Amino acid sequence: MTPEQTHILIDRLDESLSGNPATGPSLEQNPEASQEWQYLHMAVDAIRDAGLYEQVSAVRAALKAEQEGTRVVPFAETSGSASGATVETSEPTGAVVRSIYRRYSLRAAALILVITSSAFLYKYLSISSQSLYDRYYSSFELNTARGAGDEQPIVKAYDAKDWTTVLSLAGTAKSRDNQTDFLAGMADLELKRYDDAITHFEEIIAVNTHAGTDFYQDEAEYYLAISWLARGNVNEAMPILEKIRADAHHQYHEKVAKMSFFDLRLAQYKENK
Amino acid sequence: MKAEEKYTDAELIEAISAGKDLNDAIRFLYRQHSEAISSFIIHYGGNEQDADDIFQETVVAFIDIVRKGKYRMEATVRTFLASIARNCWFNELKKRGRSDHRDRQFELGRDKDEADVSHHITELEQKRQLRKLVDQLGEACRKVLLLFYYENMSMKEIVSHLPYENEQVVRNKKYKCLQQLTGLIKSNPAIARQMQETLK
Repeated sequence: MTPEQTHILIDRLDESLSGNPATGPSLEQNPEASQEWQYLHMAVDAIRDAGLYEQVSAVRAALKAEQEGTRVVPFAETSGSASGATVETSEPTGAVVRSIYRRYSLRAAALILVITSSAFLYKYLSISSQSLYDRYYSSFELNTARGAGDEQPIVKAYDAKDWTTVLSLAGTAKSRDNQTDFLAGMADLELKRYDDAITHFEEIIAVNTHAGTDFYQDEAEYYLAISWLARGNVNEAMPILEKIRADAHHQYHEKVAKMSFFDLRLAQYKENK
Repeated sequence: MKAEEKYTDAELIEAISAGKDLNDAIRFLYRQHSEAISSFIIHYGGNEQDADDIFQETVVAFIDIVRKGKYRMEATVRTFLASIARNCWFNELKKRGRSDHRDRQFELGRDKDEADVSHHITELEQKRQLRKLVDQLGEACRKVLLLFYYENMSMKEIVSHLPYENEQVVRNKKYKCLQQLTGLIKSNPAIARQMQETLK
């Protein structure tokens, strides 16, 4: 099918999804169009399922953050009720002992509550996508044989941390490959041009998806997530990080597994508020 | 903090079907049912992460079934969720090659009043595969497609959410992204085979 014919089918699908009756010739007359129609339906179902999965995932994360954040409350309540027993007694000495015990217990509980609440409040206020980026960003070292004379100029420039030259060489490269895009993305990231870095990393993923290759795929995924954090979009970073964490064979799995997902979710919760 | 919503089974189904305040319904499902189902998964060899993941799959599957009008209320929501979770976990164990010695235990743990959800479960694996394909799209594509097909936003609304110049640019992007996704689906042998069988 030509792209134009597919566009017509997509328009027709959108119309039917919005409840309008489908117009145009019957699909049954054209088996190819009929098959394409089925694939489009399947694609839309997949998108809706992915959307629902993401929504449930976000609620799950928010609930978890709430639970972890309010964990101090039951502790405080327990402490209060344990020490809050009736102190009425016919023995004055015992009453004094219990009264002192109660007073100190309450103070200790209050102190712990204040400390934990302050710690949580501090964490909540200080956590942000940017602070997480600062915590987790580490520059990428190219695995090249030092001193080899046949290094490409862009690799040499990258090794020398000459980010402007890296970008200039990438921009004028006759043929672009994933390595060029990746180095350009990293140079953008170093220069805090986060949107440009994101474009480069997404380009690598798209090229690999299209060609069925995985050259620089893991690196691009990880640094794409890091770029989203740098840009202040923890919502965009989370699905990628979750994916890496779930994939034990991913090159950055260990690195991501060590990240605090509680902090990430807290930042995500703040972002969504 | 927002007051916690409480639903009867009928109210919950109505809320999910209507698609209003879905987040509240999801929160209710988590608060009301996740503990029991997680205990079950852990009892049958899962860890906390497994329990979390299976419950999430269960909630997604349940909402999908309800939205498609396939939940007949022949079983309570609790029983229905338990059936989905049980089958999801059983499939997961099979995939991990750990099902043999657990089959018997698993069958013993089955509630005789449990709803038969096996026909719904067969769709789940395909959905999971399709979800992975959606994840393979670049973020820009995912976003456009999700806003249009999941959030039901108009082109105009999408322009105000994403950094695109005008509606036509978004429309072209959407064409391209949807075609990219169908391309990924076609190149997935298992799904393509299933589709060919459906079309026969």
